[in-house]
Amino acid sequence: MELEKLLKEHFGYQRFKTGQKEVITSILSGQHTLAMLPTGTGKSLCYQLPGLLLNGQILIVSPLLSLMQDQVEQFKRFGEKRVIALNSFLSGQERQDAFNHLNEYKFIFTSPEMLKIPSILRKLQELTIALFVVDEAHCISQWGFDFRPDYSKLGEIRKKFGNPLTLALTATATTKVREDIIGSLDLEEVVKIESTIDRPNIGFYVKELDDFRDKQATILDLVANLKMPGIIYFSSKKVAEHMALVLTEKGICQAMAYHGGLDQNTRILIQQQFIYGQLDVICATSAFGMGINKENVRFIIHYHMPMQIESYLQEIGRAGRDGEPSIAILLYTRGDEQLPLQLAESELPSELQIDWLFKSNEEKILKDGKVTLNRELMNLGGFSEIQWRIVEDFVNNSSVETINYEQIQITIKEFVKERLATKKNNIFRMKTWIESNTCRREQILRYFDETLHEVVNPCCDICGIQLNDYQRIHSSNIPSEKVTEQTWKDYLAKILINSELRE
Amino acid sequence: MQQIESIILYCSNQINRERTIYSIYHLLNGKKSSQTIQDAHLFSLKKFFGIYDQLSREDFEEIIQGMLNKSWMKIIGNHRYCLTSHGMTLLEAGQLPEYINGWNYNHVTNLFWERLSLLIQVVSNIMFGETKYIPIQKNQEVHKWIKFFLKNVNIPKIEIGSTAYSELLECFKAGSSVDPSLVVFRLTGFHQIGLTPHQAARQLNLNIHDYQIGFTNTLHYLLSYIKEDGKQYKILPYLIYDLMQNDELTLTTRKTQRLLNQGYTLDMIANIRKLKLSTIEDHLVELALNMEGFSIDSYVDKELQKEILEISQRIATKQLKLIREKIMNATYFQIRLVLAKYGDR
Repeated sequence: MELEKLLKEHFGYQRFKTGQKEVITSILSGQHTLAMLPTGTGKSLCYQLPGLLLNGQILIVSPLLSLMQDQVEQFKRFGEKRVIALNSFLSGQERQDAFNHLNEYKFIFTSPEMLKIPSILRKLQELTIALFVVDEAHCISQWGFDFRPDYSKLGEIRKKFGNPLTLALTATATTKVREDIIGSLDLEEVVKIESTIDRPNIGFYVKELDDFRDKQATILDLVANLKMPGIIYFSSKKVAEHMALVLTEKGICQAMAYHGGLDQNTRILIQQQFIYGQLDVICATSAFGMGINKENVRFIIHYHMPMQIESYLQEIGRAGRDGEPSIAILLYTRGDEQLPLQLAESELPSELQIDWLFKSNEEKILKDGKVTLNRELMNLGGFSEIQWRIVEDFVNNSSVETINYEQIQITIKEFVKERLATKKNNIFRMKTWIESNTCRREQILRYFDETLHEVVNPCCDICGIQLNDYQRIHSSNIPSEKVTEQTWKDYLAKILINSELRE
Repeated sequence: MQQIESIILYCSNQINRERTIYSIYHLLNGKKSSQTIQDAHLFSLKKFFGIYDQLSREDFEEIIQGMLNKSWMKIIGNHRYCLTSHGMTLLEAGQLPEYINGWNYNHVTNLFWERLSLLIQVVSNIMFGETKYIPIQKNQEVHKWIKFFLKNVNIPKIEIGSTAYSELLECFKAGSSVDPSLVVFRLTGFHQIGLTPHQAARQLNLNIHDYQIGFTNTLHYLLSYIKEDGKQYKILPYLIYDLMQNDELTLTTRKTQRLLNQGYTLDMIANIRKLKLSTIEDHLVELALNMEGFSIDSYVDKELQKEILEISQRIATKQLKLIREKIMNATYFQIRLVLAKYGDR
């Protein structure tokens, strides 16, 4: 058919992955669409392909700057040059250039923060938005694990564009969150395309251990035997660094740590080394994985407990994209939930901080027709970036005449209380999953209101999985050798001279 | 002894007890303050200006502590140190990086590296017929530059890899004391990703500080070689295209200079630019340091200039406070101007 032809011509794929064709057909027939597709099924194709057929621009709202950058690069790699990311990375000049030629772009990525800036919004309103795409749409919902207050205003923004055709995309959203997305975007008739969250080729294995020493020893043992490559997730940069060092120094494999504390150049190199097989294992924090397409990841190990089932699913979803059997192992010791609980609290402003901000420092709130919080208060009150953004979001842009600080103070506190309760509940459900003794796959599906139709085998440790099945057979799949003692001349010749071309 | 330690010994000896140890930190970091810029001139330390901007304060302090523990230096006052006789012996025996030239190159070193690494990646992928890959450098300026290069370079596509290879080989052959591995293993090519600084240091068995300094030394070697002897090459000169302007003044100082030339007084300039008078004075000191013919006569009376110079030479110091104690009718600004203009020559 027509669509398959386009797919082959423009993207070089033979056939669609699960759900893609349904989403594209729905969009092309002019219906608002909510698509929940598992991670790694190529969500961006769902708007990239319609973009070739629709008149007007495709506006994609995305929450993460780094992700946006990756997507733009992917587009360019596959020959689509009419793409731009409007974000704070652009210099003044670049932004001006972009604005002057905005209608020459077909795909415009932007963030909710950018859409709040009136001049940018006006520029975009001049265009014909053929499709309004909300990526990572679960960020809209208070019940979502990654709620972003900015996202909840996308409904209003959508109206300002004259209610364009809309596609909401997510990989992990419970029924409640999906309802929230539709409500918040104010979509009346929606086609829902929800492919199963299940990834049958990924097995689950939870291992309870005595303490962290036991965990480290277990990691060494697992990595020494499992098929590679793999990713080990940590909640702490320090532990990730340490583990990578131990794995390398003991000669078990080539491993590197990856976390937000590294500079951009190093992050790019490590990502690419992993993709090209120069590294066997990445010891990562949750900063790693977005936008990384590596097909043959064989294992995901969690050293620390994730904050919720949704992010767990997203992280293990990076295994086995080639369809081959892969294993997700979670290591648990009693009391592990303390770390996520602490993290959850640290992401929200404390009651003390809120009181301080509103009590003693009211006069430090700048008045300029509209209220803007003085950024100095952020340091004085010991707010982190994330905490500050929450407070700012409630206070900023209120008008000076009508603002009621007491009311805002109460609202913020209520908000914080609710968020904390949601997060604690998420952690609790994660813990329940870890401790349970019924099929792990079935429980995850139930969490997303799905039922397991077919028996998956191998399935999980409860159903009786054998870790041996995921181990490497000794002669094959040995860890990458350390770069041999080649000279710099050899190295340079290797990359610059293609010996097959020499005649 | 580590390279970074030799450099610190050398710098400490040059500043000769007249500055705190942190002035060396600021120097290595390339801090754009008039004080640091002036120090680089006064104590003849220009070649080390800004050669290691990734060095953190904590790491610096750790290195200093190590040198104190080994009794290479001793404390003589508040954050002031001097070399012990053991330190002096080491200094004389120690080797400094031969090609490092912070003053001339620190502001272009990073851009040069970004260009070199993108160039090699692009050329390599051309040679292997690959068009789909993630550029290792994100800087849009460098992307524009590579397009400019590809459009203008005058070599058949098929030879571009081997030409780049032989040009680099020849270039490195002339520098006997540099180790090309420090740079080459960081390069990315077709299906072969370069190492991070830490990985490269580990592979070459170097401590990270020595690695970073060696890396910069090698890049500076390349920069100067291409600049001086690169004309016969077809590819390498593009790496320094538009890079080698005479860029000694900071941007803000240049603005002040423009107003000065239009005849404004210092107070007026401070007013126009909405800056403190002391900042404008800093700019003048910078001008006195860098501009050969810059006259300070309208700010310091000729007689006073002479007096300040004499005192400075007699008591053999460049510490403003000591000079000021002897000549109470000179301001600090005037003393700084005089030292800036005549200090280094």
